[in-house]
Amino acid sequence: MSTPAIQITDLTKRYGKDRGIENANMQVEEGEIFGFIGPNGAGKSTTIRVLLNLLFPTSGKARIMGMDVVRDSKEIKLKTGYVPSDANAYPHMEAGKFLRYCGRFFSPDGNERRINEKTELFEVDRKRKIGDLSLGNRKKISIIQSLLHEPRLLIVDEPTTGLDLLMQARFFELLKSENRRGMTVFYSSHTLSDVQMLCKRVAIIREGRIIKVEEIETLRKRQLKKIFIEFGSAVDNSLTGLPGIEGAPLVSGRSVRFLYSGEINQLLSVLSSRNIADMTAEEPSLEEIFMHYYN
Amino acid sequence: MNRNLFMRELKSNALSLLIWTSVITALTALTMSFYGVFLENNQKILAMISILPEGTLQFKGISDVDDLFSVLGFYSANNVIYMLVLGSIYSIVLSSGILLREEYNKTAEFLLAWPLSRGEIFYSKAAVVFLNIAVINIVTAIAGYITLEVVKREPFSTDAFIIMSVYTLLLNLFFASLGLFMSMLVKRARPITTLSIGLVLILYFIFTISNITDGLSVIGYATPYKFVGMDTLAPDYRLDFISVLYFGGLSLLLTFIALRLYKRKEIYL
Repeated sequence: MSTPAIQITDLTKRYGKDRGIENANMQVEEGEIFGFIGPNGAGKSTTIRVLLNLLFPTSGKARIMGMDVVRDSKEIKLKTGYVPSDANAYPHMEAGKFLRYCGRFFSPDGNERRINEKTELFEVDRKRKIGDLSLGNRKKISIIQSLLHEPRLLIVDEPTTGLDLLMQARFFELLKSENRRGMTVFYSSHTLSDVQMLCKRVAIIREGRIIKVEEIETLRKRQLKKIFIEFGSAVDNSLTGLPGIEGAPLVSGRSVRFLYSGEINQLLSVLSSRNIADMTAEEPSLEEIFMHYYN
Repeated sequence: MNRNLFMRELKSNALSLLIWTSVITALTALTMSFYGVFLENNQKILAMISILPEGTLQFKGISDVDDLFSVLGFYSANNVIYMLVLGSIYSIVLSSGILLREEYNKTAEFLLAWPLSRGEIFYSKAAVVFLNIAVINIVTAIAGYITLEVVKREPFSTDAFIIMSVYTLLLNLFFASLGLFMSMLVKRARPITTLSIGLVLILYFIFTISNITDGLSVIGYATPYKFVGMDTLAPDYRLDFISVLYFGGLSLLLTFIALRLYKRKEIYL
């Protein structure tokens, strides 16, 4: 069995008043495109910064390709590319010079061939200073520099922010093609549609805790039902505590909605003695499943 | 040390080195060009100095008013402001920003994602700081020596000039180490330029007060300026062993602690 691309074991990072990550466990297999999804402030960037050794773990372990993220940081970075969420490169440098500078950390010629390929693909003006570029163009530079050394693992943090739809499509195609050549992708985002399109598996992080690691298809296929009930009279609390109700039901006037994973007969039997005006049961969208975990 | 990072840092700091070196050199040359006029008006100047409080000149390293009229005395009195204060400000601003800037400009996310150890980053950047400080000291010293040769009316001691230049370099290197150390104490990324400049000025102010106020001379030892030999015309003027130990020891210690702190520093962006 091959060594996992990323392995996080009981990882905790606390700092000051800010929430970090708490007792996180996750494994990303080599060669997969793995989604890491959660709302802003959930702990996605903190997790990535621990993986890249910008921050040190409070407790627990994190390993990349079997190497310890603190002790073997330099070796890890020889094989890892990173697209940060803030594409703040050196503003006074020309795009082309910046890319050559990045490339020289890996190869004496600055990986000129890869720079030419990728700047053409993303239509980057190499002569312009980075400080004069739009967020989208800075994002392109950031993406290109992360791929210059043909990394075995690519970590991306909100990579599509600022990219227009055409460039997003090219980026996704590029990720898929690099992935076919063996590159593992760790794709962190709060944009569900991106993750849904690219990833096979996903970890959901909420308030610093990884609450689910699941295949996208499994999440979709779970026997969750979205239930909507409109009562003839005021909503009573008889549903509270019923096994199979996921989270707290949302009550609005005389109606209530919730996600249900239990036996439908059991639900119907509880409801049979109630004054029901209307009821629907349908498949939830993937977005609603994620929102359910977020909330 | 990483050559790629070192060369980029060297380039990105070259313009500020050029500006600081040019300004200090120009100021030195300009001031020294007044030496002739100064000599010709010595009686008026003596009359003016006589109404100043006793000890006023001491903070410029002048223990005897006659020293002001020697070319080396005149030069060293001005060197206090140009290199011991301005040069120290350049040193501490450069060193306190060189690592911290990567954090508050958020470029640290790139820098720390490249295959570099924290030690390599620190050594590469510290090397640029120390090299730039050596360059500004050497260039201003050469320029100073040339102006001395041009305006002198009688010979001056080259040895004393070299010793004064070495003291200046040691002081600047000390402030550079202090800047590196201070930048490692900043938890959340923000510039500390104002704090750094303020610190140099406060230390110089304390040194000045200690020199001109009876009974306060002991507080001068709380500043590095007290350890700079300024009395260039004294017959026994030399590099004091205690001073060399003070500057060398503290600079090495502060740089070493800064390196240790950087290796464990949490980079918040």
